[in-house]
Amino acid sequence: MMKEQLSALIDGEIGLDDAKHVMTSLKVGEMKDAWRQYHFIGDALRGEYFASHDITDKIMSAISQEPTVLAPYSSAPQVEHETAVAAKMVTAFGNTRLWSAAASVAAVMFVGVMLLQNQTAPNDVLTPVQLAQELPMEYLAAHQSAAPSSVSYYIQPASFNQPAVAK
Amino acid sequence: MFRFRFFAIFITLSHLVFSPLASAAEDPWVILQKTAFAARELNYKGVFVYQNRLDTRSVEIHHMNNGGRELTRNVVLAGQQPRQVFSEGADIVIFSPKNDKVHIEKRRGQNLFPAMLPTDLTLIKHNYSAKLGTTEIIAGRATQIVELLPNDAFRYSYKIWADIEFGLMAKVAMVDQKNEVLEQIWFNDLNMMNNQDLNWFQPKIDLTKKYVMEEETAKHSDKTTAQQHWQVADLPPGYRKIDQIERVVPGKPHLVNQLIFSDGIASVSLFIEPVAKGARPKIGHTNVGNTNMCAHVVDGYQVTVVGEVPAATVQQISKSVTFKK
Repeated sequence: MMKEQLSALIDGEIGLDDAKHVMTSLKVGEMKDAWRQYHFIGDALRGEYFASHDITDKIMSAISQEPTVLAPYSSAPQVEHETAVAAKMVTAFGNTRLWSAAASVAAVMFVGVMLLQNQTAPNDVLTPVQLAQELPMEYLAAHQSAAPSSVSYYIQPASFNQPAVAK
Repeated sequence: MFRFRFFAIFITLSHLVFSPLASAAEDPWVILQKTAFAARELNYKGVFVYQNRLDTRSVEIHHMNNGGRELTRNVVLAGQQPRQVFSEGADIVIFSPKNDKVHIEKRRGQNLFPAMLPTDLTLIKHNYSAKLGTTEIIAGRATQIVELLPNDAFRYSYKIWADIEFGLMAKVAMVDQKNEVLEQIWFNDLNMMNNQDLNWFQPKIDLTKKYVMEEETAKHSDKTTAQQHWQVADLPPGYRKIDQIERVVPGKPHLVNQLIFSDGIASVSLFIEPVAKGARPKIGHTNVGNTNMCAHVVDGYQVTVVGEVPAATVQQISKSVTFKK
């Protein structure tokens, strides 16, 4: 149930405010096992095991271990919306279940990492990270969009293009 | 025709004003002045190539001066969804396809190629010396090379190939202290347009896509020094602040202050923001393609400097920020 809600959170079908209990349950540990269970998939998604593991198999086996949800929490319009989104996903990725599993993994990873960060760094002073290790592409884009003498902004590779507004 | 005649008269006058002694062809500043005006006054179309150490792109350009209105269309010839960039004067609109959407972004005033030289060369003259080079053929046109050599280590040098007949910048290269080319842009194909036909000045619309207007992410800041927690002193020589904005930066909870400095041709951005709670501040220096970046933390503020300038320049600017206690 919770995993589906994480998925919905990622798909934008429920807002962050409606998902606070998801965060809370993560903190109290209910979801920590799920996080551990999916951790290897997270590694794979980050490319760490790309060479030796087949991600699809791992994701599909993780799905087969998950109980089938018989009573979805969502109301009819949401189902409709989900169908539409799913249709798009099929086009884009060829396999809806795969995508939705990936989404919940991503969600668990995302919240898990936030949790870890909060745990390891309760307050202000964090160890600085070297610029070279975490390139601030958002600043590069901001510079190029405002600098007076540059051709680079509009011809830059798409990966440099950050969304214009922070979410 | 009137425009061409006016332009010819202007060039003649500028020769008289700027170089009463040397002959026109021998004064590199006269050539650069002609180049700066030609990019804005003439009607031309062509294809140019942009290349830095990471990337090469081809761009199709149309430029027209329509009774004083300067209109440009640039189409980035890459992939199946080319990015289209329209400008009228200083207003720029970018149609940027991303997946099933086309994002429409609005920008202001950039001196885009081949109009990279400002029409007022004063600041450049202060920071660079100009040297006449050889002649070369670019896109089938005879060009005169002019080198802009920096007066100190805070800027790169630039090599400009100016069309001998029309003055237009046919090619430009940015070269570092080790004589390595960091970035170059050149016309592969260049033609003058003899009519005032404006059919090209409209975006190609793809009806299967959703067009999304990006929200404004930056606004000019008119805060005075007294209203700010920080001040910038001891800039590298020859750099002036030309703009100050407050902007949204993806992933940052606060508005970020952006100050832009220029020495006439090179530009640098300085970003200042409070270190976000729970975020790891960034420090150090790195280089991406033709761009140097450096970051450090002062009194709880993250200072980041980004520019197509030498490492020494971004470093000195990052150290020039002080915070009031």
